[in-house]
Amino acid sequence: MRRWLSPDASRLFGLLRPWRAWMAIGVLLATVAALSAIGLMAVSGWFIAAMALAGASGAVINYYTPAAAIRGFAIARAGGRYGERLATHDATLRALSGLRAWLFCKLIPLAPARLSALRSADLFARLRADVDVLEQFYLSVLVPVIVAAIGSLAVLLLAAAVLPSSVPVLMLAVIASGVVLPLWVQRRAAADAGAVVREAAELRGLLADALRGHAELLAWGGVDAHAGRIAALDARIAARRRRIGRLEAIGGGGATPLAQLTVAALLVPALSAAHGATLAPPLLVMLALLVLALFELITPLAPALAQWQATLTAARRVFELVDAPPAIREPVEPAAVAASPAIRFEGVRLRYATGAPWALDGVDLDLAPGARLAIVGPSGAGKSSLLLALQKFYPLQRGRILFGGEPLDTLRGDDVRRAIAVIAQRNALFDLSLRDNLRLAAPASTAAQIERALHAAQLDAFVAALPRGLDTPLGEGGARVSGGEARRIAIARALLQDAPVLVLDEPTEGLDATTAARLYAALAIAVRGRSVLLVTHRLGQLAALVDRVAVMRAGRIVECMDTATYLRQARGRGILVRDAIAPA
Amino acid sequence: MAQGLNLPSAAGREWLRGEARTLRRPLAHSAASTALQTVVAVAQAWLLAGILDAALFRHAALAALWPQWLGLIGLAPVRWWLGQHARRVADGAGLALAVRVRKQLLARAQSLGPLGLRGLASGAAITRLVDGVDALLPYAARYLPQATAAVTVPLLLALFVFPADWISGLALLLTAPLIPVFMVLVGGAAERASRERLAQLTRLGAAFMDALGGLVTLRQLGAAERVADRLERDGEGYRKVTLQVLRIAFLSALVLEFFAAVSIAIVAVLIGFRLLWHEVAFRQGLFILLLAPEFYLPLRALGALRHARMDALAAAAPLAALAEAPVSAASPQGGQGVPPVTAPVARLESVGFAHAGRAGVLEGCSLEIAPCCITALVGASGAGKSTLLDLLLGFATPRSGRVSVDGIDLVDLDLAQWRARIAWLPQQPHVFEGSVRDNLLLVRPAADASAVARAARITGLDTVIARLPQGWDTPLGEHGVGLSGGELQRLALARVWLREGARVLLLDEPTAHLDAVNAAVVERAIRAWASTRAVLVVVHRLETACAADQVAVLEAGRIVEQGPPRELADRGGAFARLLQADQTCAAG
Repeated sequence: MRRWLSPDASRLFGLLRPWRAWMAIGVLLATVAALSAIGLMAVSGWFIAAMALAGASGAVINYYTPAAAIRGFAIARAGGRYGERLATHDATLRALSGLRAWLFCKLIPLAPARLSALRSADLFARLRADVDVLEQFYLSVLVPVIVAAIGSLAVLLLAAAVLPSSVPVLMLAVIASGVVLPLWVQRRAAADAGAVVREAAELRGLLADALRGHAELLAWGGVDAHAGRIAALDARIAARRRRIGRLEAIGGGGATPLAQLTVAALLVPALSAAHGATLAPPLLVMLALLVLALFELITPLAPALAQWQATLTAARRVFELVDAPPAIREPVEPAAVAASPAIRFEGVRLRYATGAPWALDGVDLDLAPGARLAIVGPSGAGKSSLLLALQKFYPLQRGRILFGGEPLDTLRGDDVRRAIAVIAQRNALFDLSLRDNLRLAAPASTAAQIERALHAAQLDAFVAALPRGLDTPLGEGGARVSGGEARRIAIARALLQDAPVLVLDEPTEGLDATTAARLYAALAIAVRGRSVLLVTHRLGQLAALVDRVAVMRAGRIVECMDTATYLRQARGRGILVRDAIAPA
Repeated sequence: MAQGLNLPSAAGREWLRGEARTLRRPLAHSAASTALQTVVAVAQAWLLAGILDAALFRHAALAALWPQWLGLIGLAPVRWWLGQHARRVADGAGLALAVRVRKQLLARAQSLGPLGLRGLASGAAITRLVDGVDALLPYAARYLPQATAAVTVPLLLALFVFPADWISGLALLLTAPLIPVFMVLVGGAAERASRERLAQLTRLGAAFMDALGGLVTLRQLGAAERVADRLERDGEGYRKVTLQVLRIAFLSALVLEFFAAVSIAIVAVLIGFRLLWHEVAFRQGLFILLLAPEFYLPLRALGALRHARMDALAAAAPLAALAEAPVSAASPQGGQGVPPVTAPVARLESVGFAHAGRAGVLEGCSLEIAPCCITALVGASGAGKSTLLDLLLGFATPRSGRVSVDGIDLVDLDLAQWRARIAWLPQQPHVFEGSVRDNLLLVRPAADASAVARAARITGLDTVIARLPQGWDTPLGEHGVGLSGGELQRLALARVWLREGARVLLLDEPTAHLDAVNAAVVERAIRAWASTRAVLVVVHRLETACAADQVAVLEAGRIVEQGPPRELADRGGAFARLLQADQTCAAG
């Protein structure tokens, strides 16, 4: 089968291999149910015709066997469907967690350098949709296609045994309604379907503008014009969807009239055979009902084929994503990371794409073990790039970074990152319990350690107020905690990590004064006994955390001085520092 | 499947019901078409039964049966057209509903006002407006028509089966109502179980995407591999739990399948024996057997569409919440016209304001913005400078005191007209989807090329455009080129300078992100415009404040000082203290 499948398709089948036994059980039960449904109708047709003929001729008839068969088929159909549902869902769930784990492991080494999906909400949404499509592949494509194939074959074989001249008609009907018609519909709808995807993304963008740019639209008097653009685009999308729906109705609903036409066509050879006494009359009735039952199997083929196309597209995108070579190559024989590493940047240049502007343009920097340095500069100066380079997330184009005297190239990224604790403006939290969120970096933390960390991060009151304490789940992306709480949780997490280097990335940005003030105390505890690298565009009260300040501009460190000097100079330049205006 | 964790709510259910009610007419139209289609199906069954009856018992050849045979063929396109039509009408109704709901909810969200919108998680709101509204589509266009068909089609069929053979009709009709009864019996548990299953599956998907979204953090923490294991383990755990639930949940489907299959069997066996005993004619018997599967088809199709209803209910909860969100009081239309031509005098008169549910930002704040004058507003970040601009723009109404323009309360003024006279530079300008030119022309769609060029030259936007790959046509926004802070600032400034007709300038940190040379150019341009306009500038650099005509110091929610910078410097008040602090720093 592999030979005539596209590489993406055969790779997809390869991925599903581990669960093929479970999947086969599901298909088997589905086939039993489908064949029972056909059998029920066919035998019923034969039975009433035979009974009627026996009644008319007064002949004796064995009605026990067919009546029992009818009952048997009925029960097998219902039971088969029930079993099919359980088995196919079981197989789907097995494959689902396996596929997700596979994808996740493949993506780990690609983040963040090769994973643009993490930076664009649009691409992330598409990845999410692609994963959904792949997970539904078995249930919505494999099962209906295989069942339709086996069922059609069974009907054709039976028809061949009863009336060979009916086979061409039936084959034609199966191919026309099960393959040709759906493919024609798909081809006709392809242009509109593609446009809908594009225009839906555009609609999302316009809606984002309408909400995020509402103040400006209001100030410029453009609200109605913008709403008009949205309405026009929405109407265009609706018109396309209407056209697609009409075509789909032809593909799906087209099977019903085809069933009637097939029965009519079948009657031509069947009636002449019955007339010529080469076909027993009850079998004539059975054939007619067989055809009607057959079409119940064929109708699901149209959506299944459409889904197959969607699956291939999704598979191609996912495979392209996971096949990207990692940006960072890890050393074969890694060196060991020092217990309290000094950090040294030597002429480091970094850019995110060839031809893009330099994010880091020759950075030289020294941070002795235990030293505390702030890097200040306007947004876009390269502060975040510096941190990403230090954590071995991006390759350097020029220069090198020494971590504990060893160049980063000779160290394993995981080892480097284990030695660096990060507290950022946005700290990703996960839909785990608070305890599990805290223990992410240090799974072996004891209850006492956790309690100490929570206390240091001033979270005691917060935890006490939680309905389930440490077992309270924090919601998707930590949605159930506020920005200030999230940062204090990140501080507690960083304390538990017990890393020799602490990185603070705009730790108080976007917080109101009271919340920020509460954070300073916690941060002061977090920096104790570690090397500190603080990145911010405004120093303010964070100045208390560091000994020296480096000023960064356009990818370079332009000056470096002690904190007091920096504060004096900053005020001299007329930059209002928060503490300068606060009432004394 | 992984569409956030929205559980159905009573409010959502109620809202969805209300929206569905608006579709009554087109859905009735669709249902009528489906009913006619059923009648045609009955006719076809009758013809087919007639042909086979004639062939079996009168040994008729096809040649003798051609009228029936042609009828069978001729009815196929009619049945097809009716089915198409029913679906087309339902599709149209669903799509119209989605477009209308989207429009209404957007207007609703916008009526929260700029300040209300800042508190709204816009990412989630956009997902609701796009995906949430789209989830209504299969519900309205598929589920609702099918729910009607599940009732009408069996009843209609019974109408034809009864005259043919009332005993079979009774058998069908008696099993059919049993299905809902049993489904209610099993269904209470099944419905709850299947909802739980949906929630668990959603949670599983959400946990996966959650971990994927935070992958960089997980790598930083060295926890990525552990989380991968955990995802697989959790998946396996969920599978076991879910299957237990499914065993019960699928029982309701089993009941339906069982009755559908068994009633066909009963009808077939019953008819068989009654044919043997001459109690019924063969044509009638076959006719009923042909219709028996059709009897249960709509109910089974409805079962398959249950997820559409669940999705719509899940989507409806947040949509209903949005539809019922409180609206801000300020309405943009109506009110008095703004006195034209000259620059007006705008005043804040002991204004008090607080953001919803938070401590007061402004309290007894008074400020006058005079024409032909630059007023510099200084104060610590978070002191409420931007809020003050919001009040002047009419984005929010004061809790106490009033904002007036030439003596008229802003509440009584036509806000659209007032805003038409303002050029505003927000602190965080928004970049719209579209080209650079689109982004600029948004503020004045009818601007001619020379005005655009002038605005670009004054603000230094022209040098930015010269560097962009496609110049003026370079796409911006999430799908386009990203601008640096300085580039964005120049675009936003160019928007201000394109509003040449404006008589009031509200500028929030106009020289932020700009280098000294560009900042000086912009400051000169502000000075030139001030000769005919009223200008309020929020500044961070004290030297800029010193160059203004008036300085206002905002502290603890009020303007503690206002006057020419020289005078204020000599007076020894708040502004002098600020300058002092600066100079001590410089000297020490």
